[in-house]
Parts: sequence; C-alpha cells; structure tokens
Amino acid sequence: MKDLEQKHFTKAVGNANEINELLRRFGVKFGIYKNGVFNEQFFPFDPIPRVITAEDFACIEKGLVQRVDALNEFLFDIYHDKKIVRDGIIPEDFIYISKGYLAECEGITPKNRIYSHISGIDLVQGKDGVWYILEDNLRIPSGASYPLIARELTRIAAPQAFEENEIVDNRGYAQLLKETMEYANCGGIRAILTPGRYNAAYFEHSYLAEHTGSVLVQNDELFVEDNMLYHRTYSGGKTRIGVLYRRIADEYLDPLTFLPESLIGIPNLMEAYRSGNVGIINAPGNGVADDKGIYYFVPKMIKYYLGEEPILRNAPTYLPFYKEDMKYVMDNLEKLVIKDVAEAGGYGVVFGSDLTKEKLEEFRKTIIAEPRRFIAQEVIDFLDLPILDNGETVMRKADLRAFVLSGETTRVWASGLTRFSRNPDSFVVNSSQGGGFKDTWVLK
Amino acid sequence: MSTISKEHSDRLYWLGRYTERFFTTLKALDKMFDRMLGQSHIYTEYLDHFGIVNTYSDSREFIRSFLYDEFNPNSAAYCLERAYDNGIVLREEISTSALSFLQMAKDTLRRAENSPNPRLSLLPLEDIVYGFWGSINEHIYDDEIRNIIYIGKTIERLDLYIRMRYPYEISRKEYIRLLKNLRRVPKDTPYRYNTKALSAIEEIMGSEEDYLSRTDDAVSSLGQLFETSEVFV
Amino acid sequence: MKRVNFYFSTKLTFDDYVHDHSFALRIIPPDTDTQKILSCSLNISPCVPTQQTDDAFGNNVTAGYLKGDHRFLDFEIKGTAEIDCSKHRTDYMPCYLYQSGYTQPDERLRAFYDGIKGKCTGTVQDRAAYLCDALSDAFEYQKGSTDTDTTAAQAFAIGKGVCQDFSHILISLLRMDGIAARYIAGLAFCNGETHSWVEFWTGDHWEGIDPANNCPVFDGYLVISQGRDFRDCAIDRGVMFGNYTRQLQLVRSVLT
Repeated sequence: MKDLEQKHFTKAVGNANEINELLRRFGVKFGIYKNGVFNEQFFPFDPIPRVITAEDFACIEKGLVQRVDALNEFLFDIYHDKKIVRDGIIPEDFIYISKGYLAECEGITPKNRIYSHISGIDLVQGKDGVWYILEDNLRIPSGASYPLIARELTRIAAPQAFEENEIVDNRGYAQLLKETMEYANCGGIRAILTPGRYNAAYFEHSYLAEHTGSVLVQNDELFVEDNMLYHRTYSGGKTRIGVLYRRIADEYLDPLTFLPESLIGIPNLMEAYRSGNVGIINAPGNGVADDKGIYYFVPKMIKYYLGEEPILRNAPTYLPFYKEDMKYVMDNLEKLVIKDVAEAGGYGVVFGSDLTKEKLEEFRKTIIAEPRRFIAQEVIDFLDLPILDNGETVMRKADLRAFVLSGETTRVWASGLTRFSRNPDSFVVNSSQGGGFKDTWVLK
Repeated sequence: MSTISKEHSDRLYWLGRYTERFFTTLKALDKMFDRMLGQSHIYTEYLDHFGIVNTYSDSREFIRSFLYDEFNPNSAAYCLERAYDNGIVLREEISTSALSFLQMAKDTLRRAENSPNPRLSLLPLEDIVYGFWGSINEHIYDDEIRNIIYIGKTIERLDLYIRMRYPYEISRKEYIRLLKNLRRVPKDTPYRYNTKALSAIEEIMGSEEDYLSRTDDAVSSLGQLFETSEVFV
Repeated sequence: MKRVNFYFSTKLTFDDYVHDHSFALRIIPPDTDTQKILSCSLNISPCVPTQQTDDAFGNNVTAGYLKGDHRFLDFEIKGTAEIDCSKHRTDYMPCYLYQSGYTQPDERLRAFYDGIKGKCTGTVQDRAAYLCDALSDAFEYQKGSTDTDTTAAQAFAIGKGVCQDFSHILISLLRMDGIAARYIAGLAFCNGETHSWVEFWTGDHWEGIDPANNCPVFDGYLVISQGRDFRDCAIDRGVMFGNYTRQLQLVRSVLT
C-alpha cells in the first residue's frame, strides 16, 4: 500500500520553474557565507511531493508527541531533582560534559513547565517502511517557513492536484505557533529575536513574525528594566514583551549571565526570565536534551518518565563510552557512521566506508582517546525519494523534519520539511550543504 | 498601536525615499530617452542637474549606467537595491506581498538590460511600483507609521523635482503635499521637522522667481528638515 | 564563632558619558549555614531602582538599568555577620565536579597533576591539603602578572599570580582528582581587597581551603559569592553604551 502511494506520486505537481519563480518573487531565501562573503541563495524546491499516508502519519504523530513529552519531562528533571541520574538510567557524565547543559539554568521553571515549545525532530524512512528518529532539535530548529510558503504557492500553481487528492491543509502553522507563543506569554506582546538580516534563516524569522503578528526585534531595541523585558519604541516609549521567540543561541542570550563578549544578547534577560516575567522560546539549556550522546537514552526516558514503550525507533546507536559498545564500534567501524556530538548542521559526520585503512586506524585512536565525544550508528538503508533533475526523475536520499509544538497540548504539524541531497552519493541533506526541499503531503 | 523601533522607523523613511528616487529616476530617464532621439547629446543636461562630470562616451553608455549600474549611486538599479535593503528588514511591518513587488522590480530591471527595446521592457515597472504603494497603503494600519514612509517619499520627490528644475506649479504641488504629511506628525516624535529649515523652504517656494533662482538653497534646506541619518549595515 | 563588620565598595568611573547601562552585582553576602547576616545595607549611586534575584549557584543578584547619561557608578555594602566554620554547608551541585571555562587544564597542567597524583592519597581532606601544598611549591604569589581573564592553564604556565589564579588551579587539580570543588569570592584579612578561595566537597559537606595562603579557612572568611569559577562570581558585570575609552575601577574593603 505504502509503495503504491509513493509510486502514484512520482509525478511533479505543477511546473518546477513556475513554482521556483514564485518562491523567488516572495523572497524565499537563506543566507550563506562563502569565503567570508554573504550571499542570499534561493532554497531549491522540488515539485514532486513526499506523500505520507494517514495511517503512517497517525503513528508518527503519536510517537512524536510521546517523545517530546518525555524530553520536556527530562529537561525539568535535569534542572531540578535529577532523578533519572540518581536512579542510574543516564550516567552523570553524559549530562555535565554536554555543552548544552547550562548550570546557570538550574532551578528555573519556565511557565507551564514547558522547555521545548518548538521541537524539530528529524526522521528517515527505511526501505522496509519503518520510520527512524535521526535526531532531536530542541534549541532553535529552523525550516518550517519553507514548506509553509511552498504549499501556498503550489496551490496557486497547480490547483488541480489539491482538488484530486485528499491532503491535510498545513497552512495553520502560524496559528499553531502563535497559540504556542501565547501559552508561554508572561504578559506583554510577542516578539521574535533575530541576529539580523545576515543570518542564514533571516527570511524565516521575518516571515514567521509577519504571520504570527509578532514584532521582529534585534537586541539593541530591547532592554531589561525592573526585571521586565521591554521594546524601545521609535518615539522614546517602551512596550513590554511577554514572550520572546529567540533565534540566537543560548550562550549569546545574556552577556551578564553567559558569554560576556556577546554583542547580540540582552543584558539581564535571564534575571527577567528567572523571575517569571518573560517567556523564552525555547528555554535556555535545552541543548542537554538534544545532544547526540543523550539521543541514545531517549527511549529509556520514555519508559522512565511516561511508563510507556517507545512508539518510534532510534537508529541503532552505540556509545563507545560503554565497553561492549566500544568493542563493537572498533570491530565494525568501516560500516558505521560516526557523529561528533559537538557538531551540528551535517558537520562532524563521518562514514566509516569513506575512510582509507590508515584513516580508519587513526580514527579508532581518536575514539579511544575521547569516547564520550562520539556516537556510532548503523547506516540506515533510506527509502530514496524521486526528484526532478533537469527534467529527469532520479532517486535521492531525503529526511523529514517534523515540527512538534508544545502548548496547552503537544501537537504535531501535519506536514514538515522534507530535505533531499542533490548529490546521488550523499546522505547529507542540510540546506547549508546544497540540498533542496519538497512539499510534504499528509493524506486525509 | 503597534510598537516600532527607531531603526525600523528610519528604515521606513529611507524605503520611501529610495523607492521614490528609483521611480522618479526611471521616469526622468524615460523622458530623456525620448528627447535623445535625434539629438543624442542632450543627456549632458541630466548630468548637469546633479553636478556630474560627463565621462560617458555616448548616450548609450549614459543610459546603461544610469539604468543598470549598481555601482553608480545615481542609477535606478542602485536606488532599487537600497530600497530592497531597507525593505527586507521590514517584512512584518510592510508584508511579504509589498516586498515581493521590490523583488519583481529587481527581476524586471535585470531582464530589461538584455532586451532589444528597453523602454518597452521597463514599462511594467510603473505598474509594479504603483502595486508596491497600494500594498503599503493597504497593509500599514497605523497612520503614524504609514506617514513616516510617505514623508520619505514626498521629500525625495520634491528634492529631485527641484534639482531637475521641474516647472514651478508641479514642484509647488509636491511641496503642499509634503506640508500635509508634516502636519500629521505628532509632537515629541523623531519625525518632528526642523522649523527653521521649513521656513526657509516656505520662503523659496513662495514665488516662481525664488524657486528658479535659489535651487541650491532649496535643496540644502530640504536636507536639513530631518536629522535622520541613513542606516547602513 | 566570630562576629565581623564588613564594608565593601566599588567605584566605576568612565572618561566619557555612558548610557543604557545594565548591570548585575553579586555583592550581598548570602545567609548560609556557616554565616548569618545580621545586617546589610546596599547603596548605589547614581540612584537607580534595583531588583533582587537568586542565581543558580545560590548568590544574591542585584540587577539594575541606568538609562540616562552618567559618568560613574558607585556601590557599597556594609553590615554585620556571624561566621561559624564549625558548621557546614551542603548545597551540592554535580556541575562542580566538572572542569569549567577557567579551570580547563592544558597539557602542562595535566602533566603536573600526573606527576603528583601518585602521592595524592588518603581522605578527601588529605588529598585536598596535599594538592594545595603541591601548588604552593610550584606557584608563586605575585601581583600584575595575570588579570581577571587569565585561566588556570595560562596562569600555571606563567608560574605566578594572585588569589584568583591559585583558586582556579587548585579547583582544576581537585576536579582532575575526582573531587568536586567550587570558587568562592569573599572578604578575608583586612587588606582592602576582595579575596578568593576554594571549597571542596568531602562527600558530605563543603570545606574551605585558601590556596593563596595554603591554609584552611577559618571564621575570618566572609563568603560573598560562589560558583564554578570566577565567571559565576564576578562582583559586578555590566554592559553600557557610549564613547568612553577607559573605565577605572576602585575597590575598597574592610573586614573587622
């Protein structure tokens, strides 16, 4: 049945050039630095949609809600009682060596105990049809705006496809986001904090601000007074901000708490936050839960906090930190993919099969020297997706970033960002590495 | 009322100025195009208005530079690029659709560069700019904020009309339009004008004779109306 | 038990006007098991409203925002406290077991530890005292060779430093030895400056040790703040705008 569905949709919806032209017109771009020069690039769109059946999506949805709920429980636990460590489920080292763990956030309870309001969970589908979780992104996952605007434009360019197929409308993302922001609001307006137009995701920041009715701000427009966060208006007044969806990394958020040299932060923001006067989306300190090393423990968290069996599977993962895993990794390095837990965005990923004998030997030594720095995974046999390449249909690796929003309830956006690699031999689908994206259809 | 920062209000002002400078430049060049048919050297008149030395070998090179050269600060392409630069950071204030007109204008201008008949290919730009202003007008709900971009627009237009020695009655109308916009500015905001500069302009715009003889005075007083400096990144 | 009067002041002076000045002070001594604050008053000039919060490490944070132009910021505290080191603090945090920004060892510091760890045996107290002795032999007290940005590894390479450097190196050694340790900023001895020392976790409670003087901490030490290293304990941190090129800081402290 699944195969049938996908075969049915190997045809393009609308004309790729027309849709890409529309995307250009509406400024769908991401910024990229090459050799120190800033360029805006259009994010290439492929007109063959990825199709997810209603049954498949129902399962993914249940699994993601479960996962994100457990991750939120974990974050509360880690910044308070640390029961999961005391009970021996996760070794202490994995928490405190993680760069994402911020001791400065100990004891802080965000409004409604939600830490990860917007979670971007990356999945892949194996050739056997099974969905695997590749990684969790609980800090500032980006990418929702691209499929959102692409759907809007595809409906203009190819209306008949939406008449003929029963597709769940995904255009409510902004409303979902707005509700999520409001649930975290501590009294005031909604604001989205951007590092500026030279950030890779600036289009997304401004697009989401426009569509959620939030003010797009930079740090020099903000100040903390009387433990409240304010927006400085052009006529010399001030407007209180109740919730800040920040698109800058934790370490830069407040120069008086984190990196003193940060020029893009807001002094004393953390004091206002700790006092419960402003909501921060997502909560600072979330990095401890989406660390590549912690990933291994998420299925255990689900059992520990929720008493449930995990619905979605992790890719088979080994931690060289454990003796038996180290042995397996040493014996099978040439067929595994090794990830450096400190890197992101597709960097620090090494396929054992790409390495020469000498390099393998060298890498073994690196892993033995720093076992905590790496995780090893089996290479999943991805289900390739068809894409149009100069008028020809070719098969490429693709993943799916699902967006899970935690407000009054935890909800999964019935769509997602399907990214594919343009290079036939590559497993890396990140936009910063030249990939493109597709619309993601969830069938009714 | 919505909240808007000092930087964004300055950006709005300059978005108004550059969009208008683009539009007026385009129209003036179109007129010049027409007049050059048969008397190709007349383009030096245009250069004189802006005090630019003629380094162009012929009218073709002049037109190419003033339409398409992004490095010529008096070109239409340069003004459009600056308008886009200011607009891109104002998406949530002016809307994605208003912004899309600037992207369309950029694409249209680029396409015209390779067209055998530039005047014909540039024609849609007029529709696009009117579409932009319609979109701005529709989208910005707050009168005080909308007025900022219109102040930028009218100041720019009056400035160019004076420099290019447009007939007195036409410039006078733009001056009255500017006054109307200025009267809408509430007290104690940064868009409160310099009254001394305004009375100087008032005096010059009072008679055709002064208007024709004191062009430089008029332009410099107009420049002193606001101290708003341009935001460069 | 000892009753002490404390006084501490800082004067920040700028060579040009500054504005939009946000600051966070960790200057009000905390009330703990080992010290009771009987009275404490804080004065800030120019006059500015401030807010009190507690940070993750149990410090009192005084936050404020001076919007208008000013050329100085002065603050002073004075009060009375009762110190009793026969009692013990137990506010443990696991992060104290791990190296932090200032204490991350380099090859050289690691080699130093490797060279002495063989003799580092006995109870936690014995090991801490041994590491402190070894540091005393290898590191010299001298002002001016390091500053507040100097890390443990950098200071150790120079071979000389002040109490902050002694504390960072000792913390680094203790953590390498598997003993949780924290940085303490406070007042001790009546020498007009702030002092810093180290607390290590015995497995049951914190004990103080003063590496710059190579002695245990006694009732004459008043704790102002604690954290993983100097960064968590900075008496004052601030961000301001203006055309100033220099800022001058004058510190005075009295403990009697």
